[in-house]
Amino acid sequence: MEYRNILVPVAGTEADDEAMKLACWLAKKDRGKIWTVYVITIKRALPLEAEIDSEMHKAEEILDHIERVAEEEEYEVDTDVLQAREAGPAIIDEAVERKVDLILIGIKQKKRFGQFSLGNVAPYVLKNAPCPVLLLQVK
Amino acid sequence: MQNSWHPKLGNRVFRPHRLKRFRLRRVLGIPALFSAGFGDVGSSIYYALGVVALVALGATPVALVLAGIIFIFNSLTYAEGGAMVPEAGGSATFARYGSNDLGGFMSGWALILSYIATIAISAYTIPPYLGYFWPALKDPVVGTAFSMGVIIVLMLINIIGIKQSTRLNLLFIIFVIITQLVLVILGAMLILVPNPQNLVQHIFGAGNWPSTASLIYGISIASLCFTGVETIAQLAEETRQPEKRIPRAYILLTIAVFSLFIGISVVALAAMTPQALGDPVNGWARDPVAGVAAHLPSPVLRAIFAPLVAVAAAGILFGATNAGVLGSSRLVFNLATQRQFPEVLSGIHRRFRTPYIAIVAFSLLAIVILIPGFFVTRFFADLGALYVFGSLLSFALAHASILSLRVKRPDAPRPFKLGWNITYKRHQLPLTAILGFLTTTIVWFTVIVTKPFSSGLAGFAWMIGGFIIYYFYRHRAHLPLTQAPSEKESFKL
Repeated sequence: MEYRNILVPVAGTEADDEAMKLACWLAKKDRGKIWTVYVITIKRALPLEAEIDSEMHKAEEILDHIERVAEEEEYEVDTDVLQAREAGPAIIDEAVERKVDLILIGIKQKKRFGQFSLGNVAPYVLKNAPCPVLLLQVK
Repeated sequence: MQNSWHPKLGNRVFRPHRLKRFRLRRVLGIPALFSAGFGDVGSSIYYALGVVALVALGATPVALVLAGIIFIFNSLTYAEGGAMVPEAGGSATFARYGSNDLGGFMSGWALILSYIATIAISAYTIPPYLGYFWPALKDPVVGTAFSMGVIIVLMLINIIGIKQSTRLNLLFIIFVIITQLVLVILGAMLILVPNPQNLVQHIFGAGNWPSTASLIYGISIASLCFTGVETIAQLAEETRQPEKRIPRAYILLTIAVFSLFIGISVVALAAMTPQALGDPVNGWARDPVAGVAAHLPSPVLRAIFAPLVAVAAAGILFGATNAGVLGSSRLVFNLATQRQFPEVLSGIHRRFRTPYIAIVAFSLLAIVILIPGFFVTRFFADLGALYVFGSLLSFALAHASILSLRVKRPDAPRPFKLGWNITYKRHQLPLTAILGFLTTTIVWFTVIVTKPFSSGLAGFAWMIGGFIIYYFYRHRAHLPLTQAPSEKESFKL
């Protein structure tokens, strides 16, 4: 399969680094483009366009870091900050708009009430994605 | 896109693709907009019908029709404004563009008053409906305490920022609409059609038709049924293609609300006298829709619909209370962003990332205005008058803003432009906005004159207090009081 447009949503976890490295490896084969997005979720008590400086700084730090990871892999990525009520629909929306071939999400294994859990975002993306989704779990 | 470039140490890399701070993801469709709007407007019938009947007696359906026409004017104005200016401030934003920062602030401040009253009146109406399951809640003292508890719970939920499901909200609204629709149809078939003379007697019988003054006041109170139209405009920034979706959502809302409210009021008057419908102590003033269900002739139908109405009412009123909490906090944040209000109330909680100060402040204010509920049963009408003061003032300012924008910015893009225009000095002024402005202003004055304390005094005290805050804030910030958005400032389409 060819992957010319890969979307890598990041959340600021260790799994992002591994996901970016894998995305760079996949994209190099087909000279593809990598888009990285960080979604700032805005609670309903705020307007959607509310600018929260602390969240923006955090987003910038995370995206700066992920760009450095990509640079180490000798690949360039485009980064963007999205603001939405929920991350899942925002990621799907972005994937549709950019017509990506693959969504690559890094997840860190976690447990909720003693049970293995994928969280909220990954299941939503798996269910609604318009393209293949690759989940990379990091222990 | 192969790249072997390595940045030199100390070089700063310029990233033009992140010049823009962020991009918004707008995901709301027409169903979500409609359900949000109906959740606010549609909840009104569960408390307003009784209040209207208390004043308008047998002319309640007439009062509702006339108030509904004003609602149509309001919806059309908001449709043009919301499509033109899809920002979170709603009519406060219309007023800011239509006049200046002061106009925007006064509109927003009036809206905040109506949101606080929404929180109080919606929460206050939940216990009578839930009294079907727990009769103790029908007691005014217990009920008022329960209402305050509901507000506190919602305050905490919104400080934490617990996620809400758009799909669940939509499904619930569909359930409420179906319940109301079936109730109207059954009421018409089983109560009205077999005995149409009851409806005639209850409307025109001795002592049932109100005086002219009461009818006019009844129309003003009936506008209580149709407030909440602001909700869709405030969500305009969260939908793609607002120029299409906002007007369509408003049209759907108008059809649904108008037909259901008129239907329920006619069925209610066919089932009971206006005195029974409007009695807050021994009648159904505080839970009028439950009264309709209780008058269904079949015991089986009563057993089915009484709990359904209780659940539907409690749910939609809970949602309306929540909408008031969210609406007020969002609006304050929007005003603070536009430097129309001190930023202190828009402070964000470090952990929960919610505007907790605004949420707490307005929730506590709503609790305070509920205190009379412990002592006075009829304060319900006063609460409604306060609500109407704030909402009608903001509606009047919205109409004025749309008219002003037709004059000041005639060439601005108007994706949904109202028709039926009057030409005045080469300006196209929509007739519905003119009529809307006149009627909402008249009704607003009527409420003030009829309820001088709870509406006039309290309402004006609120507005004056807000102006004082605005004045000192702008003075300290070295900003002019009446600064207008620059001509170059474009609407965010």
